[in-house]
Amino acid sequence: MADPMLLPTTVVGSYSVPEWLERLKTEYYQRRISAQHLAEIHEVAIKAAVKDQELAGIDIVSDGELRRDNDVDYFLARIPGVHIPQRAKTDYFDYYDAEVTRPLPELPERSEAPERSGLRLADDFRFTRQLTDRPVKFSFTGPFSLSRRIRDHAYPDPGDLVRALARRLNAEARELAAAGADLLQIDEPFLAGYPEQVELAVEAVNIVTDGVAATWALHVCYGNRYARPSWEGHYDFLFPAVQAARVDQIVLEFARKGLDDLRLIRQHEWDRWLGLGVIDVKTAEIESAELVASRIRRALEYVPADRLMINPDCGLRHLAPEVARQKLRAMVAAAAAVRAELEGGNKT
Amino acid sequence: MDVDLRPVKKLRESAAVRSALGPIIEAVCTSPADLSRLRVVCDWIQYRSNFRDAVVSRPIGAADVEIAVDLRRCGDSAPDDLAAGVKHALSDQSGLALEPWARGRDSCIWRFNALYWQALSAWEQATGREYEQSLPGGESDARNTEAAGELILELFRLWDDLDARRALPGELYVLELGVGNGNQARTWLDEFVRLDQRHGRDYYRRLRYLMGDYSAHVLERARQAVAHHGERVSALVVEATRPAVTLGFLAGKAFLVYISNVYDNLPTDEVALIHGHTYQVEIQAFLGEQDADDIAGRFGASRAGLVPLIDRLLRIGPELLAESAPHQFADVGQAVSFWQAVWDALRLRERYTPLEGLDSYPVSPSLTGEILRPLLETEGDVRMHVSNGALASFTGTLPLLHPFGRVQCHDLFLTGRQQYRTGFYGPGKYDGSVVNWVNGPLLQLVASRRGFGVEFTPFRQRPGSNITTLTAQARD
Repeated sequence: MADPMLLPTTVVGSYSVPEWLERLKTEYYQRRISAQHLAEIHEVAIKAAVKDQELAGIDIVSDGELRRDNDVDYFLARIPGVHIPQRAKTDYFDYYDAEVTRPLPELPERSEAPERSGLRLADDFRFTRQLTDRPVKFSFTGPFSLSRRIRDHAYPDPGDLVRALARRLNAEARELAAAGADLLQIDEPFLAGYPEQVELAVEAVNIVTDGVAATWALHVCYGNRYARPSWEGHYDFLFPAVQAARVDQIVLEFARKGLDDLRLIRQHEWDRWLGLGVIDVKTAEIESAELVASRIRRALEYVPADRLMINPDCGLRHLAPEVARQKLRAMVAAAAAVRAELEGGNKT
Repeated sequence: MDVDLRPVKKLRESAAVRSALGPIIEAVCTSPADLSRLRVVCDWIQYRSNFRDAVVSRPIGAADVEIAVDLRRCGDSAPDDLAAGVKHALSDQSGLALEPWARGRDSCIWRFNALYWQALSAWEQATGREYEQSLPGGESDARNTEAAGELILELFRLWDDLDARRALPGELYVLELGVGNGNQARTWLDEFVRLDQRHGRDYYRRLRYLMGDYSAHVLERARQAVAHHGERVSALVVEATRPAVTLGFLAGKAFLVYISNVYDNLPTDEVALIHGHTYQVEIQAFLGEQDADDIAGRFGASRAGLVPLIDRLLRIGPELLAESAPHQFADVGQAVSFWQAVWDALRLRERYTPLEGLDSYPVSPSLTGEILRPLLETEGDVRMHVSNGALASFTGTLPLLHPFGRVQCHDLFLTGRQQYRTGFYGPGKYDGSVVNWVNGPLLQLVASRRGFGVEFTPFRQRPGSNITTLTAQARD
């Protein structure tokens, strides 16, 4: 019998946001429905998203990030000291104009008081945790990417804003770990646009993960806003800097971009886990299980099976629900097929 | 009874227009129509060649009626003639229908439009002038070296930056849709060569300039204009409303998509909000009784045979029509004359049909009528174009853009919803083609939902022109 967690399947974070939910979210941001109603709608949607993932056979599930208006504002709107002059939106997915005019208030060292850290991500995690028996991945946007959406009038060194955000996220991570979160993921969707700042981003990642007893993943992609890449290029820029990141796994996109960058894993002797993006989230075209399996087999030439996690390139938020479900099913079937091959290989 | 006077500027300027209002209202009020269920809409139709009579009536749902008046043509009419026109419009629905009632985009006027571009050479031969001369201003736009230079230098800056990050692709794609006579492409490419030599990065070697047009005839003319740029240029027949069919390979690669005078010539529906209810404007092409008889007599057809003959023309074009019916058309020129006579006489009837649920109304393959809601529900009654073809083209073009690419489009755009309250924006006739202004706010909204910012600026190359420049680029 193969190790049941060999080639585990997971998601990157976000799950399909149906059109009706988008409309309701916009209704909220135009102040036509209450926050309480939206919260209840979100809870129903999250239950459905978790169930979808379970039915698709995903081993490690997420809440689909369905409470979030986008990958940035959900956090910025809750961080004390980040000023957002206009909180109504024409469309829920738009970004706020956010600014800091003075340094962010710092938390007391090793704060355990939830009301002080502010983002209440642990509450989000607890809700998801009680919905499923499967392992849960909890992801949040990293300090570097958050900083890119803030007009900074407070820090002479822009890196200090990134570090201050990282300290705030570290407090959140501690609360998450205390709530039982054992697989945490930092998303840095903006990093590929600023490759020259990778050292700063890694430094901030290490502030976030500092002292938090969890398995840590770092997701770096080329952007997925409106299902389009925000940048193009190669993952060369990540190395060797990412070697200094105190994370257990990097989660990268390969399905859309092709597998050429797998060479970097070998070239730079990355000896930790790789979250292998095998599903292109920027197209509604459903990959066949055979195609996905071929991508996994190719990755096995560079990474041993016991350090390979199988996931889509990025979040599924822009895919229609049925498309997302079919893509996940193809991914699970592919992982199972390759797992079976490995099991056969082990027997001989 | 509502009276909706749209051409407010003309009302201020023209005493004749103002003096026409009294007799029109007088005629309406003395007609047997139920005035509580009647509305009167007055436009100023700037297209001398158009699809409307001076006074027409339009049913609204089952019980209400709209009287639509072209004040330009009524300004000089005698009061008695105006009264007769109103009474005639309310009672008469005669004429030879060329099609069943249809949404605007499904009307046969778009088959005429398509034929015009497919058989342009024959049309031009018959008229003795090139199609550009029928455009407003008598020429296609955008051949300004300075504007081209600014755009090219912006591209150079972007490419230098991407190159520094090792993110510059090997091939640098620029796409032009709607190439006209090729002057724009020639100006742009010549300027590119000049500036590239000065810049010294040899981007010209990597440049791939794609010219796309619906008309093979136009494309060939444009290709000759840029022949000296050789293999840098490729010419492709592109169906503007479905660019991905031909240009799918370009997804995510185009640094610039340049579109000139294409969107105003693509099929469109119209929708209206009247007293809180949403309606589709349905249309039916027809020939007036006298026109139908005249054309049938002139070309040796029976009146009953006229509709199938027109359908045949639209299916096979004038050349094959002349070949297949030599007893009616001695040569291609006569077949084109038949085509032109029908086109000149062609009118559109309209009616408002209730739209049951915006989400059940398909705007384009990727959009439902829900996208219209913010524009329809903003403030009071409105009738507006859906610009279905332009939307399909625009939304099909955006995915072609490189993350730092842009669309630059010169066309007849409305830039604010409120403009629909004060003007007439089509349909009109340009020579053998159809023209409608494009619903700019709708394109802006759709782009926004896809993460693109859209800006409208006055067309710099020809001050005072109705042309507006749309620029779309990724936001955030």
